[in-house]
This record gives sequence, structure tokens and C-alpha cells, in this order.
Amino acid sequence: MSRDIPMVDVSHLEVFDRDGALAEAADHLNHLNRRGFLRGAGAVAGGGLILGAIPARAFGQTPKGDVAILNFALTLEYLEAEFYREANKDADLDAQTDRFAKLVLQHEDAHVAALKDTLKDAAVKKPSFDFKGTTSKQSTFQATAIVLEDTGVRAYQGQAPNIKTEAVLKAAISIHPVEARHAAWIRNIVGMPPAPDTFNPADDMATVLAAVQGTGFISTASSASSGDSVSGTPAVAG
Amino acid sequence: MPDELMIEDLDRDGAVAEATAELKTSRSGLLRRVGLLAGGGLVAGIVPMALSRAQTSKNDVKILNYALTLEYLESAFYAEALSKGKLEGSVLNFAQVVARHEAEHVTALEAALGSAATKKPSFDFKGTTNSQKTFLSTAKVLEDTGVSAYQGQATEIDSKAILATAGSILAVEARHASWVRNIIGAGKELKPAPDVFNPALTMKQVLAAVGDTGFIKS
Repeated sequence: MSRDIPMVDVSHLEVFDRDGALAEAADHLNHLNRRGFLRGAGAVAGGGLILGAIPARAFGQTPKGDVAILNFALTLEYLEAEFYREANKDADLDAQTDRFAKLVLQHEDAHVAALKDTLKDAAVKKPSFDFKGTTSKQSTFQATAIVLEDTGVRAYQGQAPNIKTEAVLKAAISIHPVEARHAAWIRNIVGMPPAPDTFNPADDMATVLAAVQGTGFISTASSASSGDSVSGTPAVAG
Repeated sequence: MPDELMIEDLDRDGAVAEATAELKTSRSGLLRRVGLLAGGGLVAGIVPMALSRAQTSKNDVKILNYALTLEYLESAFYAEALSKGKLEGSVLNFAQVVARHEAEHVTALEAALGSAATKKPSFDFKGTTNSQKTFLSTAKVLEDTGVSAYQGQATEIDSKAILATAGSILAVEARHASWVRNIIGAGKELKPAPDVFNPALTMKQVLAAVGDTGFIKS
């Protein structure tokens, strides 16, 4: 987008699959088996914060896999919501970008609320974030929003076939197209192809988490100690 | 629900509203017809190689044929709109890209279904492809309906592989819907992403809505 993007090279994130470092991280994660992956994902994305907070007793009848997927989704929604909240405060946006940022913030907040409500005390805590200055001006906001939304679409899409519970699939599949609408919307605003693929690509959890880690946007990760040391503070009151 | 999706939007345009009202009568005919194609005798006993290898259930064949019917409709609509030559600028670009996508969705679904694929119907788009304005409002309805249609089937699909494919198309239809809404809505109230949670539609609701358009002739 802009030549002077300060900290995060979003043009690289846009094609993060092809980025050396991130691809390496993703490859590494892809080697882990499912059980190992859950540990690895926690370590990568949030230093134990991300998927480690699921209590041993799975809530209700929801299978553990679905709880992990819901917490994965919640983490992405936390990230998006905070990103838009900060941009709405910090960036000087033109009319159409402002309209996008305000409405999408509402959506992401509502997604967070719904996921937390579903997960109840199994919900992961909201990490703290550092958006590396990308929210301070329009060009970096737009470029980053495209990356986050495209990633969100691929993430939900990748998880849909893994979901075991019909109610969880229904919820996820109703958020998935909303993220796709966001992605196309902001792409159209900046003049990028809104629908670049005939079949939207999907990403698995490890790839998404590696990409998110690559942004450095989740700042709790650096201060968290290790794999499964999770602060016991429940994320949700209800 | 289907009425809200179809009529609310089409009503804004005189010509389309007229066509819609006029063609309500074709609804039961369409339902009968699609019922035959999608759920009836057509698929019974004919399981193509591609599908038998994947052990595709009858249910999934029915859903794939339903998706194929919607993609035929979209694909034919965009092809006709392009052939009329009334589109320009960002609208033309939209139509060209989306025409290609829908044609490729058709190809993929036909390939997946093999000999179980439903035949392409003939269409009558009631003049909606004659102007940029009616093209846009109709494209918006078709895309929004397509999103809700795929979404409604996600929980009905038996096969994980087919669900993954449906998800990859669902996202593209949502991108199309948002795109055309953004073209129409620039500076107006129309939102590219109107809902926090995208609404799903059942097969019955979608077929009724499609029937109401009268776009499927035979």
C-alpha cells in the first residue's frame, strides 16, 4: 500500500504463506500431531494463553475439539475487535473507510460476545495487543484490515469441516461469510480485487496461528512464561 | 424470509417488481421441477465414479445438485449481462470477474457430480440484464441468496470434503455480495455486510425465492 509502513510489512503478510520465516514456523507447527499441536499452538500464539485455558472438564456436551476451535475463533475475534477499536480512536479515516471501521468494529465485538457466551468459563482471556502503529493512519489501517479479514475468512473456512457440534458449526458458518464480506468491502475500498479467488483458500489452525504470531500483534505472548501456565482468571463474568 | 430477500430488493426497481409479481404463478412449477431434479429420480442409482470413490451420500448428491442449479442460474445471468454490453467501469469489472467465478463453480460441481449432475435449465432474466441498474439490484439479490443458500446447507452436508468445498464457495459468494453492495451503496445506506451473523436459508426457502423470480424457464 504505502511505502512507509512502520513496523509491520503487511505486503509480506498478505502473502505470508510464501514468507520464509512464517512458512518455516507454519511447517514446524504442521508437523505436530493434534495433541502436540494444542500445546504448540498455545506456546506460539499466546504463551499458553490461547488454547491452554480450556478447563479439563469440557463444558456441556461440547467436544474438546470444538472448544479449541471456538477459543481459536475467539482469539481472532479479540484481535480484530481491538484492532478496529484502536483504529477508530487513532486513525484519521476518510468517509468510506470510517464507515467500514465503525461497522466492522460492531460486528467483531458482537462475535466476541457471542463466542464468550458460548464458551462461558472455558473462554480464553483477552490477550493484550500491540498493533505496532498500524492503526494510526489510514493506509496502514486499510492494509492491515485486509490481512486480518482475509486471514479470518481462511481460518473459519479451515475449521468448518473439523467442527463436531451442529450448533457450533451453525454459528461458525454464519460468521465466516461476514468476515468474507468485510474482506471484500475493504479490498474494494482500496481498489484491490474483492474476490481474488474462484475458491477461497482455507488455512489450518497452525498456519493461522503462525501468521498471527508473525505479526507480533499479540503482545502478551512475550511476557507469558511457558506452554501451559495459564493465569486462572476467567475471561467472562457470565 | 425468501420474500424479504427477494422482494424487498427487487421492489425498488419497477421493471423487476413487475416481472416478479407476474411470475409468482410459476413458483409451484419450479418447485416441482427442482424437486424432481434435486431430490427425485435423477440421482437414484446413478453414482458417478468421482462420487462413489468418495462414498458420496444421496443427501450430498442432492445438495450438490441444488448448488449446481444456483450456480447455473448465476452463471447464465452474468453471461447474459455481459453479452448485452450495457455495463461499464467498476460494474463491468465486477460482472467479468464474477461471471468467471460462477462458470468455474459450475464446472467444478459438474465434475464432482459426473453423470449425476442435473442438466442446465433454460433461463429468462426478464430484462434485468438490460440496464446497469437492474443488473446491479438483481446481482445483489442473487449473491445474497447464494450466500444464505450455501450457509443453510453447511449443517446438512455429510462429507467433510464436500463441506470444505462448499465453504470455499460460500466465502466467494459472500465476497461477491459485499462487492456488488459496495458498488451500489457507495455513499448510501446499503451495507456490504448488513448482518453481524449472516442469515442462512433452507433449501425450501431458496427454491421458493428463486421460483418467485421466474428466472428458471424450464
